[in-house]
Amino acid sequence: MIRTLFLPFRSYKYLLLQLTQREIKARYKQSFVGYLWVVLNPLAQLLVYSFVFSVVFRFPTNNVPYIIFLYAGLLPWGLFQGSLATATQSLVDNAPLIRKVAFPREVIPYSVILAKIVDFCVSAAIFVVMMIIFRVPFAQTSVPLFLTQLFLTTGIALMLSAANLFYRDIQYLANLLLMLWMYMTPVVYPLSLVPSKYVWLYKLNPMVGIIEGYRSALFQYPFEWTIIYWSMGIALITFCIGFYLFKKSEKVFADIA
Amino acid sequence: MTEPIIQFSHVAKLYYLQEDRTFKDVIPSMLFGKPWAKKHSVFKDLNFSIGRGETVGIVGKNGAGKSTLLKLIAGVTYPNSGHVQIHGRVAPLIELGAGFHHELSGYENIFLNAAILGMHKREIEVKVREIIAFSELEEFIHVPVKRYSSGMQMRLGFAVAIHVDVPILLIDEVLAVGDRDFQKKCLDRLQEMKRKENKTIIFVSHNEEAVKSFCERTILLEEGKIIADGTPDEVFRRYNRE
Repeated sequence: MIRTLFLPFRSYKYLLLQLTQREIKARYKQSFVGYLWVVLNPLAQLLVYSFVFSVVFRFPTNNVPYIIFLYAGLLPWGLFQGSLATATQSLVDNAPLIRKVAFPREVIPYSVILAKIVDFCVSAAIFVVMMIIFRVPFAQTSVPLFLTQLFLTTGIALMLSAANLFYRDIQYLANLLLMLWMYMTPVVYPLSLVPSKYVWLYKLNPMVGIIEGYRSALFQYPFEWTIIYWSMGIALITFCIGFYLFKKSEKVFADIA
Repeated sequence: MTEPIIQFSHVAKLYYLQEDRTFKDVIPSMLFGKPWAKKHSVFKDLNFSIGRGETVGIVGKNGAGKSTLLKLIAGVTYPNSGHVQIHGRVAPLIELGAGFHHELSGYENIFLNAAILGMHKREIEVKVREIIAFSELEEFIHVPVKRYSSGMQMRLGFAVAIHVDVPILLIDEVLAVGDRDFQKKCLDRLQEMKRKENKTIIFVSHNEEAVKSFCERTILLEEGKIIADGTPDEVFRRYNRE
């Protein structure tokens, strides 16, 4: 099993790269704004949310300007949500390919996730610029958090993409759940707002540890290590289960795609 | 026979004819104990082997199992029981444009398609000019593939597949889409490959002439069973009698 884990990266590296490139390019072919959407989309969301949550409602965010606070959560969440939404459909979308050529099928959801990471890097660059403008000092240690998010995303993506091949409504279900999930994660509001009676239940959500972790890393809040370790554990387990289930069902993909 | 490069032993393959695609159809059948899918058996106990360097034509009526056979050889699908042993990489040309992405240009798709067929970057870069020249699509190579006619797509797909350096080539009824000149060009090129590189070529076709002129061995499939296996002349006599 371990060898199959690395197979895409050793023997199918070029294919993975090509498929990722294809994902990215297809975004801006025959479009007016083109690749700029990658930046415009989060920016637009940012403007709407900041307006609503700093003018209409108010959230306490220590010394950090709300717009920065928001972006720090919105950006990684956008990566999570976007990756899962697209990855769920990826096998179905590539059904013709699956029916014709043999290659490790996980290359397809992997390429989707990689393409989204490229988008993320572009939007993150904008974020860094904003941090400089607003004069917010920042620290590192977001890398292990990013990896945790990556494992969690990949594990879920593998499960959902395979399930969607069998039952095509899974993608609608997934989109709905992602929408709800966002409100159950402290993306637009700080964790401190959750009533202490329920906070322990709330913290079972693995994305809580990750998002709060990013903010702690960026804005010098104290790290809540318990929930971060919890997220890491869940991410690893999710990945292992997702990979196992995917590889188990892989043989029949071509028959039902 | 030379050492077998493809070997099927006691292969059984069936498909579930899954008609429902959403929960709402499946749950009633789960609750009332109705079987949720019909089984369609394609192969029950298939045995044969193909040696290195052979050129084999597979013929038979529609629904006999030809495409399934190719898919089993290509490793796209797996048998329900029995063994499929393939000793070498396979380049399948099953239907048109494997992996073509319609928004990308022909040029970009060459790289994508070649990567899908297992070529490495350096290999492709060296052969790109040849591939474009073979397809005769120089003028349109930077146009998105969605604007190509089916003949053009087939030319591109075939041009790439022909340049992949793999021991086994599978060709499934795609030549029919090309015009007569291009079909001849493809067959000539395949003949050359057969002679010079000792490739194993498996060729599914309804075109009796093409099979007779190109293949030294022909297998006739009917309802998942091999009912004839020999020279094209023998096999077609049998086929035409049916």
